[in-house]
Amino acid sequence: MGIRTSKKTMVAFLATMAVTAGTLAGCGGSGSASKASGGGDNVITVFDSEPQNPLIPGNTNETGGSRPGSQIFAELVSFDSNGKAQNEVAQSITPNSDSTQYSIKLKPGWKFSDGTPVTAQSFTRAWSYVANVKNVQKCASFFSTIKGYDDLQQKGLNGTEQLSGLKVLDDTTFTVDMSKPDSIFPVKVGYMAFAPLPDSFYKDPKAFGDKPVGNGPYKLAEWSHGQEIRLVRNGYYHGNVKPRNQGITFRIYTKVDAAYADVQGGNLDVMDTVPPADTKSFMSDPTVVAYNKPGSIIQMFSIPSNLEHFKSGTEEGTLRRQAVSMSIDRKSIVTKVLNGTGTQPVDFTSPKTPGFSENLKGKENLVYNPSKAKELWEKADAISKDVDPFAISYNADGGNKPIYDAIVNSIKNTLGIKVSADPVPTFQEFRNLVDKRQIKGGFRSGWTPDYPSAEDYLFQCYDSEAGHGNGANDGDYSNSRFDELMTQAYAAPSTDAANVIYGQAQEILLNDLPAIPLYYDNAHGVAMKGVKGFQMDWQNQSVYSELHK
Amino acid sequence: MGKYLLRRILQMIPVVLGTTLLVYALVFALPGDPVKAMFGDKPINQAVAAQIRAEYNLDKPFIIQYLLFLKNALTLNFGNTFAGQPVIDEIARAFPVTIKLGLMAFVFEALFGVVFGIISGLKKGKWYDAVILIVSLLLISVPTFVTGFLMQYFIGVKWHLLPVTAGNDPGFLDLLMPAMVLGSVSMAYIIRLSRSEISSNISEDYVRTARAKGMTNRSVIVRHVLRNSMIPVITYLGQDLGALMGGAMISETIFNIHGIGFLTYQSILKGESNMVVSIVTLLTLIFVVCNLVVDMLYAVLDPRIRYA
Repeated sequence: MGIRTSKKTMVAFLATMAVTAGTLAGCGGSGSASKASGGGDNVITVFDSEPQNPLIPGNTNETGGSRPGSQIFAELVSFDSNGKAQNEVAQSITPNSDSTQYSIKLKPGWKFSDGTPVTAQSFTRAWSYVANVKNVQKCASFFSTIKGYDDLQQKGLNGTEQLSGLKVLDDTTFTVDMSKPDSIFPVKVGYMAFAPLPDSFYKDPKAFGDKPVGNGPYKLAEWSHGQEIRLVRNGYYHGNVKPRNQGITFRIYTKVDAAYADVQGGNLDVMDTVPPADTKSFMSDPTVVAYNKPGSIIQMFSIPSNLEHFKSGTEEGTLRRQAVSMSIDRKSIVTKVLNGTGTQPVDFTSPKTPGFSENLKGKENLVYNPSKAKELWEKADAISKDVDPFAISYNADGGNKPIYDAIVNSIKNTLGIKVSADPVPTFQEFRNLVDKRQIKGGFRSGWTPDYPSAEDYLFQCYDSEAGHGNGANDGDYSNSRFDELMTQAYAAPSTDAANVIYGQAQEILLNDLPAIPLYYDNAHGVAMKGVKGFQMDWQNQSVYSELHK
Repeated sequence: MGKYLLRRILQMIPVVLGTTLLVYALVFALPGDPVKAMFGDKPINQAVAAQIRAEYNLDKPFIIQYLLFLKNALTLNFGNTFAGQPVIDEIARAFPVTIKLGLMAFVFEALFGVVFGIISGLKKGKWYDAVILIVSLLLISVPTFVTGFLMQYFIGVKWHLLPVTAGNDPGFLDLLMPAMVLGSVSMAYIIRLSRSEISSNISEDYVRTARAKGMTNRSVIVRHVLRNSMIPVITYLGQDLGALMGGAMISETIFNIHGIGFLTYQSILKGESNMVVSIVTLLTLIFVVCNLVVDMLYAVLDPRIRYA
């Protein structure tokens, strides 16, 4: 009898369970059905992370904010997918003979998405706002070559002071006086921090950051923090971009892995990145459309210029730097560790940089050549011996371990010396050590350009003016001939002329190797099956306007 | 009883103060400079950086920072995030999602854990007891992120049974899979706990006496065995409710749920001490309250336990 009743009990339990599960499932049915379709006919859903700053152009310096921001704002020039600058709001940008003054004429008829006109003042006031230290804008430094910048870095400003180098002539014309020659200025003005701002911005910058009004191909419809940023077409826009969809919805993700699963499962249209775990398989994944081409980011490791036995400018140092560079088997790293999501480098910029050349003198120093490497190292040993074991530091939170293990092994096996990889737990901690110059050895470095110009790579990372904490020259490299070429390039009559000089400057770097280029990060991403027009621009971002279904 | 309750509530004050101080110190001690990190590897405008530091009190010594935080917190002003959003708004946005997820996981683990535990405990040695035991062992030994990714791939991506990720404003179905993943390990523990409690209680003297007095099997099981077996299970569940709220990070990141776990993780990475401490304070309160409720429940389950 005992057995019979307890069997009944068990059946009852199971029945309760089934009923509860059923009811629970029933009551929540409405939640997701509407979402799976994404957002209607020709609206594209794309991956993003939560912007780390309010959506103000001058305060946006990371991809979470620049993905939607770049669609909301249009600048004087826009860049095509190869990084070539084309006039957008500007009719013409005319330099004087030594690039110290620019006269800028705007095309008539441009309007912000709220219907107010884009005038010369929309630019000058916005630029002064960003440059003015009182307004705490993270991109302030981009305006440092404009006259009057230093005056806006003082204490006791009220935030409304204007850059003295900007002069408005009429509604569609203004001039820019530079404090020193800057031939790259016509390219720089395509960077988002140079976007015009409507008058409504100055009334309440805080509210604007939550609901920005711009002059770009799209306008903000709704920003639900931590969830999505919904953009729709801006009817007032008539620039270079011809959107092929009705809108873009940026979905905020906690992690790229979740987004990848959503593309596979048909819930997300496009993402312009691939989780490390999937780099091996995404090219052959039948559930997605893959994109993988050389991009604009270069990965390197720097060797401090004052590192014992590696001092730059000395014969021994140069020999050792070249030996280390030639002992790295970049080809196997790119194919085996990166699974083809990187490309072997031939310079210090990127294949997406205007003026890029595959034939610079000294590019053979970036090619794996074990016998030559050994020979150079021995030559250096003949000058001075007792080299300390060489260590390379990197931040361990970015998936860099396999790459650096491979580099270290490659150097070790080729040169037969003691080399170690020295991981630092987080990027923050790593940057702190780099800033304090506390790393005694090589350290990971990389560069993501802000605008497509060799200047952005070369001046920021290797000019002596950018060293010692004043820029990104973290190895404190200093070469007077290189600095001279940088100055010459700034004074060049055109960006094309400047690019020729940047080529010469790079040949110096290829010999001195202040940093050892490792690979160009490929622009890689995936789209859902059935999404058309998926390609990526010079910034390794998806060309959102081309996407359609 | 009332006096006991009051004492317990007063005890919360030092607990909360102690945790906030400790957590604030831990975030402060994190290596790296959050302001520098905001600029990435781009050149830093030092004047701008200095202003940001002043705005967030980062230029002041630790103890002043902490006291300023406390002072503002007393007026329910928890400060702003580095992105300029009020901390309280971010928490208010993330918390309901986590509560929903946590409660679903809680119901899942309590319901299935107890039910399977009882079946197993009453039917020791049967084949389904063996199956339940093996499955629970598997769930305990496999890390949740493995269970999570496997379920996401098969149930979501391959078979399209449930949404792949939860996304914005998640409904019941969106959260079902994450809740199962979140609750799975605890469910397995509860199965094992209730199984062993029941099987040991069932051979106790008082059960034999009850049966000898002629009580039906049903009332013996329900009124004597289960009631006694549930005390440790409820203790565990009470502790776990707090843990579910704070420990949802793994399932939140796998399934793209913008909840408290993920918010905490990100804030730690960014060095946002205000955010981290505010969340931890909240979690501490939840934890303390859950424990209090559990202690009160003891009295209901076991008449011998009385609080004076």
